[in-house]
Amino acid sequence: MSSNEVSRRNFLRVAGLAGTALCLGFYFPSSAEEATIINTNGAADADIEMNPWIYIHTNGKVTLFNHRAEMGQGSYQSVPQIIAEELEVDLKDIIVASAQGNKKYGNQVTGGSSTIRSGYKNLLKLSATARVMLITVAATKWGVPAGDCYAESGHVIHKITNKKFHYGELVEEAAKLPAPKDVVLKKTSEYKLIRKPLKRLDTPMKTNGTAIFGLDKKLPGMLYAAVERNPRLRGTVKSFDDSAALKVPGVKRVFKVKMLVFKTYREGVAVVATSTWAALQGKKALKVEWDDTGFEHISTPVIYQRQQELLKSSEGLFLSKQGNPNETLGKSKDTLDVVYQTPYQSHSPMEPVNCVAHYQDDKLEIWGPIQAPDWVQDYISTEMKLPREKVIVNMTFLGGGFGRKAFMDYPHEASVISKEMGTPIQVIWTREDDATQGPYRPGISYRCQGAVTNGEITALKFRMCGQNNDHWRNGAKSNQANRSTSEGFLKPYYESIKDVSFAEVQFETPIPTMWWRSVYASTNGFAYESFLDELAVQAGKDPLDLRRQHLKDERSQKLIDKMEEVSGWKNRKKNEGYGVAITECFASTVGQIVKVSKDQNGKLKIDQVWAVMDCGWYVNPDIIKAQVEGSIVMALGAATIHEITFKDGLVEQRNFYDYKMPRITDIPPIEVHIMENTADAGGVGEPGLPAFTPALTNAIFDLTGTRIRKLPFDLKNI
Amino acid sequence: MQEKIKEKHNGLRTLVVISTLSVLVISMAFGIGGNKISNPETQVIPIVKKDSIASVKAFRQVYRVLMSPRCMNCHPSGDIPLQGDDSHIHEMFPKRGHEGKGILSMKCTNCHQPENTKGLHAPPGNANWHLPPADMKMVFEGKTASQLAKQLMDPKQNGNKNMKQLLEHADDGLVKWGWEPGEGRTLPPLTHSEFKKQWQLWLNTGAYAPKD
Amino acid sequence: MIKLNINQKVHQIDADPEMPLLWAIRDLVGLTGTKFGCGVAQCGACVVHLNGEAVRSCVTKLKRAQGQQITTIEGLSENNDHPLQIAWNEVSVPQCGYCHSGQIMSAAVLLIEKPNPTDEDIDNAMAGNICRCGTYPRIRKAIHMAAEMQKKGGV
Repeated sequence: MSSNEVSRRNFLRVAGLAGTALCLGFYFPSSAEEATIINTNGAADADIEMNPWIYIHTNGKVTLFNHRAEMGQGSYQSVPQIIAEELEVDLKDIIVASAQGNKKYGNQVTGGSSTIRSGYKNLLKLSATARVMLITVAATKWGVPAGDCYAESGHVIHKITNKKFHYGELVEEAAKLPAPKDVVLKKTSEYKLIRKPLKRLDTPMKTNGTAIFGLDKKLPGMLYAAVERNPRLRGTVKSFDDSAALKVPGVKRVFKVKMLVFKTYREGVAVVATSTWAALQGKKALKVEWDDTGFEHISTPVIYQRQQELLKSSEGLFLSKQGNPNETLGKSKDTLDVVYQTPYQSHSPMEPVNCVAHYQDDKLEIWGPIQAPDWVQDYISTEMKLPREKVIVNMTFLGGGFGRKAFMDYPHEASVISKEMGTPIQVIWTREDDATQGPYRPGISYRCQGAVTNGEITALKFRMCGQNNDHWRNGAKSNQANRSTSEGFLKPYYESIKDVSFAEVQFETPIPTMWWRSVYASTNGFAYESFLDELAVQAGKDPLDLRRQHLKDERSQKLIDKMEEVSGWKNRKKNEGYGVAITECFASTVGQIVKVSKDQNGKLKIDQVWAVMDCGWYVNPDIIKAQVEGSIVMALGAATIHEITFKDGLVEQRNFYDYKMPRITDIPPIEVHIMENTADAGGVGEPGLPAFTPALTNAIFDLTGTRIRKLPFDLKNI
Repeated sequence: MQEKIKEKHNGLRTLVVISTLSVLVISMAFGIGGNKISNPETQVIPIVKKDSIASVKAFRQVYRVLMSPRCMNCHPSGDIPLQGDDSHIHEMFPKRGHEGKGILSMKCTNCHQPENTKGLHAPPGNANWHLPPADMKMVFEGKTASQLAKQLMDPKQNGNKNMKQLLEHADDGLVKWGWEPGEGRTLPPLTHSEFKKQWQLWLNTGAYAPKD
Repeated sequence: MIKLNINQKVHQIDADPEMPLLWAIRDLVGLTGTKFGCGVAQCGACVVHLNGEAVRSCVTKLKRAQGQQITTIEGLSENNDHPLQIAWNEVSVPQCGYCHSGQIMSAAVLLIEKPNPTDEDIDNAMAGNICRCGTYPRIRKAIHMAAEMQKKGGV
């Protein structure tokens, strides 16, 4: 039952359990934070606003509908781990099914490192509620006080007599009870599963080929499609010659397609065939003439030249401002004024974008590696002019997402092609399509100004100039600063530095941009934390001491203690470069220390990375460590290799030969530590990324005196 | 070709005895698979005319080819081949291995097919794709013309090639791949027939090494 | 018709001999554990064993593979109990998991030829396999663990 596409109704029908399973779900009156727990058996069946979240079956097994995607971040393990804890069942008795896209699940967007932090309180409460209901039934059956009973490993046990009921024996009665309110949750110290490094439930199916990713989805009668899209996003198809493509054995049809990319349409020519190979061959054989008029064909040097011109002249729109940095900067003798530059980046998930769609009888069903099934449902129903309930969106496993797969262009494209063909269709994007079509992390220039007076930082003025993803996504107002202008920057700095401002100097191009793992923090962190390092040098302070001095809150102090302890910061030797950076995003703070040195040939090498994660309440320390390790590897590539460049509006990189990935040979030792506290849960999938690059470049400065202000830089040329 | 040269220099024919005392069957780019290596025996090789000036001149041309990426990339100074027109270290660092065929899960033919894979940057291929073996590395990279000429003629470094085998090498399948390298790869600076002419001219005029 | 011997089972397929083995395995035979990542032998997601070698099926044509012994991730072990599969589970190596069929198939050849691999051997064997999630430290750890298991003969 690991199938990802079990709809609730199908599930009940197949399992023959309707009415006998205990089904609990949430009702979201307004926001996900305020969920009410509902016994869906007692309520009107299939009420639109009700969602079944867990089913406890008469055999004692629990089916969990995971409302979020599994794209590597570990929801497949961490969500059941939460449920098993409060429900008191064995993890092996939990079956995870992917929920379909539906507003009744609340926000389903797997982004912003939110799977756990946005849902864990509800999930704990939901599971505890079920447990209490089962105990109530058992106690009633035995005629004993519920307080004399406890639950363990899928059973309710009477403490005094040791009598036992299997959950399966209780669900039918429990299903008739209303869900109790205000159940008592376990204390952290009582956890048996949460905070334990349990093995991931999805590993076995990822080691024997049984995990079904988007590309693995097959339907009877399914045809395969590849699309040659205008290599400039806003261009259209003028004409095409399909004569050679149609001669490829297996190619069935060739036609023009048009898909919405947020507010812009992208055009291409689809080749539909009986196998992926035939479709790809047909695509290669196409001759297409594009219409590329009406928009700018931009090149990379122009982008940065314009950004940096703008940063010279424009104050931009303030996102936040306290005190008067301009005045302080004007009065100070000791000031710094520098520009940092970061490149456009591709997400490049290992699984290229793909989607299966089946349009029939005014109903559309979609399967794919989808980060935001609820958005896809909305978007497709509007675009395909279907009522929302006629658009069924199924999430498969995602072979990586990193933000790319929260875009709705590819499900839309698959839907359009399926409707045209009247058959199930799988659209596959090649690696080249993935690299050249975007969307990308925007390339950004930062102007950073600071003042030091009597050895103390007295003013910080940051201006960011780069594309605002929100302009694509929802047409954010042009008179509002990018809400992420200060993302990554630690809030306690505002307390200790009087004059601080963050402003966005607006900048647009025709290039599509999108969230990329840790979003703006991934580049802000580099600029802001490197600049603080520059000011520390200017002020004659140890860079870690500078942070200790300014980040006065208790959590920051403890984090710094830990960083100092694990890295041996105070005992660092000559000929070793140490760099530190601390960033915050998605409610978690991560500090990193990187140690570098030069080998016998004078080549720079990264000796060690220490990362300390403070994400508050957490579920699985091993998954957190894995996420931070992976974030660091991704950041290493982003800092030292990756750059998407444009020439005359065309992307110059195509595949892993010119957009090279870090390989096993490139990876420094990484040590991850997790802070223990019970603050609200923060994100895990992304916050480990931003601090790495500034910690690395600060370490390089420490060793060599070379300050790196432009990414990517080549480690071999330091 | 040899016949023609012989005729041209009629009367000045010299006989040189190259003895191949012990032939380890060592493969050069041309040595593995279907390419025959003659039995160890004394061979009589005609040299047309010793002419150091002509020979050196011919080798200068040969050298341009050998140092072109299509030839040099698989004759690296280290144990990792080079790639591309800029002769960068091969991505993913495949190692030579004892036989020059790669090692472990990184054997050459795991990616390199019997023919070029179509498309820019797709793996080039040949039925005999490999590097020189570990005990006969035949390094081109970093060698001066003088060093390379001496190395090519040194039986200890050339896999005990005799003159006949050296002459034949110009027509080896993997050598000829250099002139059909697939999409996006620059050809050597001479045509294959011009290269072959210069190669044999160099050998037949005494295989002199240039002074650098 | 082309005869493919995959995981000890013969499949007769009607396909162009120029078709890469990858697409025949996935689309025609229906074994989807072998993944498409780049199409040009850069990433290793498509690694299968061809007569025991870790070939990149995205560039290996059917005309080369026909009649040969092919093993895919589905055929590496009967019960997901190859030492590498066990170690991968013990170490929780995969994140998204997409590249790991290829990672494991590459590592399997390594362990046959170097039953006690050093870190350098692992680099030499595994540098052809990309993992975008960055699970490399765990891949290394799991290979060492699998080698230990193999040595102890427990599996």
